[in-house]
Amino acid sequence: MNGGGCMPEHVLRIKDLYKSFKVGREDIPVLQNINLEFRKGEFITIVGHSGCGKSTLLKIIAGLVEYETGEVSYSGKRIVEPGTDRGMVFQEHRLLPWLTISENIGFGLFNLPKEEKEESISKHIELVQLNGFEKAYPNQLSGGMAQRAAIARGLASNPEILLLDEPFGALDALTRIQMQKEILRIWKEEKTTMIMVTHDIDEAIYLGQKVVVMSARPGEIKEIINVDTSSLKDRGSTEFAHIKKKIYNHFFQDENIEIEYTI
Amino acid sequence: MKKIKVILLSLIIPVTVIIVWSIATARGVAPEAILPSIKSVLNAFRENLASGQLAQDLGISLSRVVKGYFAAVLLGVTLGTVMGMSNNVNHILSLTLNAIRQIPMMAWIPLIILWFGIDELSKIVVIILGAFFPIMVNTFSGIRGTPPGYIEVARLYKLSRWNTFRKVYLPSAIPQIFVGLKLGLGISWMAVVAAELIASTEGIGFRISDARSMMKPDIVIMGMVVIGMVGIVMDKLLTFVSKKSTPWIGNKG
Repeated sequence: MNGGGCMPEHVLRIKDLYKSFKVGREDIPVLQNINLEFRKGEFITIVGHSGCGKSTLLKIIAGLVEYETGEVSYSGKRIVEPGTDRGMVFQEHRLLPWLTISENIGFGLFNLPKEEKEESISKHIELVQLNGFEKAYPNQLSGGMAQRAAIARGLASNPEILLLDEPFGALDALTRIQMQKEILRIWKEEKTTMIMVTHDIDEAIYLGQKVVVMSARPGEIKEIINVDTSSLKDRGSTEFAHIKKKIYNHFFQDENIEIEYTI
Repeated sequence: MKKIKVILLSLIIPVTVIIVWSIATARGVAPEAILPSIKSVLNAFRENLASGQLAQDLGISLSRVVKGYFAAVLLGVTLGTVMGMSNNVNHILSLTLNAIRQIPMMAWIPLIILWFGIDELSKIVVIILGAFFPIMVNTFSGIRGTPPGYIEVARLYKLSRWNTFRKVYLPSAIPQIFVGLKLGLGISWMAVVAAELIASTEGIGFRISDARSMMKPDIVIMGMVVIGMVGIVMDKLLTFVSKKSTPWIGNKG
């Protein structure tokens, strides 16, 4: 099966993935030559234009979208359908309007005994700091709070990987920064592997240990940048600005952004 | 305060009708045999109530409506749901059902009498035929209107088909299903009266038709008003149930 070497546990491996959609009679490729390997506990961000296929990539990992060519596997097993080892958070919170916040968080836990379910729900309500809103309906919550609940639902089934599809894309700028801090805190507490898709370069650098830069139509990986240094968690640092420029140049090659140096 | 305003506004037309009606009869615009006075309609109501005739007629019609309506709800919601959730079932049924839907209810009555006679069953079949379609069509479109994002969430957590129906499709479709239930209820009344007008010896529809042939317009109008009132009560009842079963709607904090 594997081409030599060991097959380590808890590795998400994507090999020569190609995916196209039929539009009319034509096959439009959306993903091409995707080769990636993520280890357990990493925080990966994937940055690219809207419509570069990054959401499709995430849905393939989730098992929601089928693929024909290439191989996507987790812990050595080919991904063909959704599974409890992977959770997902969408851009729209997708909380079910007819369920209360705690019912929403427990949505995927129907197989658990009642006590365990309750325990997991209250633990995750605590984790995303929504205490007091257990009985509220999603339409009574603000956008940021609803997205917290969605993150709690994603984590409640104890997935090993949490897939985040532009989860803060619809939030206002201040809430967004707040939520970025929250997700880092949650990541450190839960040690879940996080794979987040975003079109916000700042967000990608701030959150990721690795930033995967993707081009559009068809989506291809341009570069994988290691950003795992503490100084990069400071948005005002020069390293941050340098990485930002590097990524920026992938998307807008002819332009140069001036970096302000404050020494 | 707002409630009082709503009640006042909704009373404008009924009150105007009563005023115009009493003026017209007081001035003798039309003979009593064509437009009876409010007083004689009220008298007819009192007499029929006292003699128990009204309760009996209403009871018979109501029981027909309830039987036919519940059968139509069962059929309509089930078929609408199955068609909404399964493309294959939809392809099998939609053309045939759509064709049948085009046939007016009244056009069915001769055949129904031929097949089911003029007993209870034929009336109930008329009601089912009338109420089934609005219920089925609305259930179908409610199920179909379930946001794909929610269905994807159900897939993500590997919910069974039954659980996906119970937890995602059904609650999402409920408001639309209730639209169908209300329409169906209105049509049930229409159908029972129509069926009783044509072939029956009892029921509120029969009473109206009987009163017409005996030149008693006061009873005709009384019967019509009573049907309207009972219809309103049942509609309000459904609205109440609908609100109770969708507590997540309209309680924005």
